[in-house]
Amino acid sequence: MNKKVVIAFLFMFLLTISTGVYGVILSNTEPTLFWFAVPAGNITEPKVLRGPGPPINLTPIKVDIDRFTPLKKFFNPNVVEIGTHWIYNYGKKPVILRIELINCTLPVKWDVSANFPFDEKTHTFTKPLMPGQRIDGLVFHWIFEIPPELMNKPIIYQGGVKLIDANTGEVLTFIPIEIVRGELMRGGS
Amino acid sequence: MNRFEILKKNKWRYISFIIGFLLLVSPFALLIRLEFWITGNLAEPSIHYACLRMPIGWIFRGAVNYLISRPEMTAFIIGVLGLSLFLGPIFCGWLCPVGAVSEAISRIIPLPNKFRIHIKDTNITSALRYGFFAGYITIYILIGLKLSGDWIGSICCRFCASTILQNLAAGIFGWLLPTYGSIEYWGTASIIVLISWLIIGGIFTYGGRGWCLFFCPLGAFSNLLYKVGAKLGFYRITYNKDKCSHCKKCNLVCPMWAIKSDHSVETALCINCKECVNICPTGALTMKWGKENATK
Repeated sequence: MNKKVVIAFLFMFLLTISTGVYGVILSNTEPTLFWFAVPAGNITEPKVLRGPGPPINLTPIKVDIDRFTPLKKFFNPNVVEIGTHWIYNYGKKPVILRIELINCTLPVKWDVSANFPFDEKTHTFTKPLMPGQRIDGLVFHWIFEIPPELMNKPIIYQGGVKLIDANTGEVLTFIPIEIVRGELMRGGS
Repeated sequence: MNRFEILKKNKWRYISFIIGFLLLVSPFALLIRLEFWITGNLAEPSIHYACLRMPIGWIFRGAVNYLISRPEMTAFIIGVLGLSLFLGPIFCGWLCPVGAVSEAISRIIPLPNKFRIHIKDTNITSALRYGFFAGYITIYILIGLKLSGDWIGSICCRFCASTILQNLAAGIFGWLLPTYGSIEYWGTASIIVLISWLIIGGIFTYGGRGWCLFFCPLGAFSNLLYKVGAKLGFYRITYNKDKCSHCKKCNLVCPMWAIKSDHSVETALCINCKECVNICPTGALTMKWGKENATK
């Protein structure tokens, strides 16, 4: 076999494998996707919630924009995306979930699509999520836009997300979210 | 033959590109909309529900549960692959909006060809293409065997040209209709994909199909099946060397660099777009069914 052909094949094979490795590195520096589940209480440190589905890794979300890559810093440093494809009910009763982002003064866009009815005004999934089930076909993103005057602050956003039982007002899960500069980040995607 | 004549001769293909865009990309996504309407799915239709990448990974990692739980994606991929066996990669050549947009940009921007990447040896192009495909499925096999650990991950969603297309479409058409996607956020991987797909793979690649050639698992898989289908005598391109005048016009119009040095066509690369068939002045390149002259 032609030597050039073998080299071309191996080059692209290794480039692809390297891309997979780089993807993992990126997920540590630019985390975007997290797992959510109820009821999990106040998540102050990483926790694994076990239930009828897969084990759910819940973790406080901290995004450090100083850890962004030079490419991200150059083109789009002031926009942070945090989201999920997985919201599970590991409780024992059906729940109508309302989602609340607390203490947030940053401009934030809610981008939500699911095979589950969602009221964009109240941020509520209006159908009960049954025990052991997850919200089907969920694509849920918050896109935070950081104003220029906040870009140099050490703490840009400190708040979190509450997953609330819309009928009783009970907070089922609280996950802290921080957007900071210059701190090591925890979490994953 | 100038650009306008090429456009005229291939008008059905370019119309088909627009149809492909309308069928799959939000806010239109008419095919997905129809499917959601039939199945009662409440999600916002978008190209993600006709994923060009994930189900291929699921096949190779043996994730039957994923294939079953996302029947729309599974059906779409199996449909495209099935068509490729019998009719060649016509989805790639005629409908895929990801390939269509990069090809269109390449044709619209009048960059001299000397500034464009063009590998003329089809063996090297094929080696690069299937090197990527082998790497892609290796990652999924490792994930399936639980050997990926924390050191390697899927390159599906993070490095996805469909997502970039969908987000750009949301930016362009979002004012017109409610749409899925958002143009505000650009992560490192999405910037890399934008550059690889539209700038290097589109503007700076001859034919504008750099992403399709080197980074699309569905395209590579489709062409493998086309190669098998062509051997079995299904719909395929054929080359008659006695009729060939060696004018090299086919070489000039092929967006997939599939014309070999002897002017026959490499089925591991060809997307049955028929650009070469339409430009061939002597009829040396034709489309055929049947066992006769099936490619060896």
